[in-house]
Amino acid sequence: MRILVVDDEAKTARFLKKGLGESGFVVDVATNGLDGLQLAQDMDFDLVILDVMLPKLDGWQVLTRLRQSGRDTQVLLLTARDAIHERVKGFELGADDYLVKPFAFSELLARVRSLLRRTPSRPQDTIRMADLEIDLLRHRATRGGQRLDLTSKEFLLLSLLARRAGEVLSRTLIAEAVWDMNFDSDTNVVDVNVRRLRSKVDDPFSHKLIQTIRGAGYVLEADS
Amino acid sequence: MCWKLTRSVTSVERLWRTLAFRLTAGYALAGLILVILATAALYLLLVSELDKSTELFLGDKLNVLRTMLRERPDDQDALREEVELETAARRYEQFYIRLLDDRNKPLMTTPGMAEELDLSQLAQRTRGHPDVAIPMKGSHGQALRVATAAAPAGAPPTHTITIQIAIDVSQKEALLARFRLMSWVIMLGTLAIFPVVGYQIARQGIRPVEEMAATARRISSTHLGERILTEGYPFELASLAGTFNEMLDRLEDSFDRISKFSADIAHDLRTPVNNIRGEADVALARARTIDEYRDALESSLEEAVRLSDLIANLLFLARTESPLMHLRREQVDVADLLNGVQEYYEASAADGGISLSTRFADRPVIAELDRTLMQRAVGNLVSNAVAHTPSGGSVVLATSSESAVVRIEVADSGIGIPQEALPRVFDRFFRVDPSRSQASGGTGLGLAIVQGIMLLHGGKVEIVSQPGEGTRVVLSMPASAPPVTKV
Repeated sequence: MRILVVDDEAKTARFLKKGLGESGFVVDVATNGLDGLQLAQDMDFDLVILDVMLPKLDGWQVLTRLRQSGRDTQVLLLTARDAIHERVKGFELGADDYLVKPFAFSELLARVRSLLRRTPSRPQDTIRMADLEIDLLRHRATRGGQRLDLTSKEFLLLSLLARRAGEVLSRTLIAEAVWDMNFDSDTNVVDVNVRRLRSKVDDPFSHKLIQTIRGAGYVLEADS
Repeated sequence: MCWKLTRSVTSVERLWRTLAFRLTAGYALAGLILVILATAALYLLLVSELDKSTELFLGDKLNVLRTMLRERPDDQDALREEVELETAARRYEQFYIRLLDDRNKPLMTTPGMAEELDLSQLAQRTRGHPDVAIPMKGSHGQALRVATAAAPAGAPPTHTITIQIAIDVSQKEALLARFRLMSWVIMLGTLAIFPVVGYQIARQGIRPVEEMAATARRISSTHLGERILTEGYPFELASLAGTFNEMLDRLEDSFDRISKFSADIAHDLRTPVNNIRGEADVALARARTIDEYRDALESSLEEAVRLSDLIANLLFLARTESPLMHLRREQVDVADLLNGVQEYYEASAADGGISLSTRFADRPVIAELDRTLMQRAVGNLVSNAVAHTPSGGSVVLATSSESAVVRIEVADSGIGIPQEALPRVFDRFFRVDPSRSQASGGTGLGLAIVQGIMLLHGGKVEIVSQPGEGTRVVLSMPASAPPVTKV
């Protein structure tokens, strides 16, 4: 998978290249709009991560010209402004997703992966990971054959972590997916809930599945 | 020429804009009109009185002559006395009489009458107007009133005598002329004096306003403490000064809040930045183990997240104050919304040994709200309540509606808020106990955000608290969106 990062802020471009590279993507970087447009038109990228504020040619123009030249490469816009009309403008011009700075890298990675997931993952009935088994149909979870006694929200939280195993999920994302709280609430509420889930899923077992990534969120991994 | 004209027009216009000029012009005009009216009225009265006295004199004379002619038509001496002698003796309001017989032959004439006026003109002028005084000019240009009357002679009458009479009114005319002259003098005096006096009055009246303006000029952002003295001014201006001072009080208060806000924002931004910087500095000062580096990086990340959250909250607050912010209103079952929030915070509350419950009215409460924003407002309140309620306490979420007003209530049995802090809890960065909330991760923006959200919904926040007993916050807002008005 090839990704083009267009951002004039050298540090941003550097950590994006590094982070995405380590996640298995091939990353090219352009530091202004003109170069970015040139590269995006000449080469075959799977995704363009495009900053809006760019020298020479701003992100809106790059996006517009890219679409005019007939390229339907996926575009993820990055901006420091989160006014709603900017978001709407981005989608109208043909952007596929939109992320406001500052963002968590894990959040960006999740968006990139979901954009590049060509075929939507087939809804699963059961998820297995190490000795954890989640039956999504019957809302039952077992570990090592032992039935876990979870509340409905705890079950939702565990299945979210399991479905996106290996991905770091931010507290905001978890609050949104499990409790439908669409705002940056004081996120230690999520911590409390994860702790309770851990006490049931991990505490009785020596092999811990739920990992805390400080400053980023939580991840469910079979081998830590 | 044209240029000069426009220039003078603009200078008059500029003058007209000054209050002193307008007042002066007003006073002068009013005074002048008053004097003109009064003088004119007096003049007309005088003219009519003088005319009336002439008429009366004339009537009197005719009456005497008629009586004499009727009673004693042959008493020539008495007639002569009346016609020739008495008039000759007069100095003021002289008069002349001529008596004519049936064939217009003069019988008796006041001596000198023919020299004073044209007798044929008299006959001609008064023909057809018996007994009426008619103005006429005499031979020397003097003003006269002339009249003709028929008097039957003898009883019963044997023949008719015609009486011709002329009265010299030149002295009365002279009096009127003097009066007119005097009137002009008075009017000119008025024209000269009124503007001067009027200008003085206007200046006196305006001076306090100019003093206020001078004070206002001295007031600037660094000098907001100055006030206008309200004593010694007329009542209307004192009230203006009072209003002005109240405005300054409010301005100063807002300004203080903004300064404090800027200081707070600097402090709250500086703290995490300082942590990141210091941690990185120290970590790089010497070689460390992998774990130590990891710890420094993780700590930096936490601080960065804290910064991002703070910025996001500040931006959100700024947006709630922008008139461009749009609500995405939808039909919301408020009990549903509260249940969601309750579920979210349930574990935290249980962790702290607090019971978090809901209490709803029998009938559902439905309102047109922005669900996400209302979740956020209620969430902030619950978060506060849980954080400030000791173990064993309770937090209750309730909702009710009453005549198109929806109320959401968050009541806790927590530590409460001191009375003196209550008015400031909605200020950005205000913390009742700075040390405590900083440690618990609060940004001090929670209630400000709640208030911003309520204002967007056209509602309000009320907060009642009793230290040691608990706090109750009530959100009340219209159940439906107001009709859209284009600005």
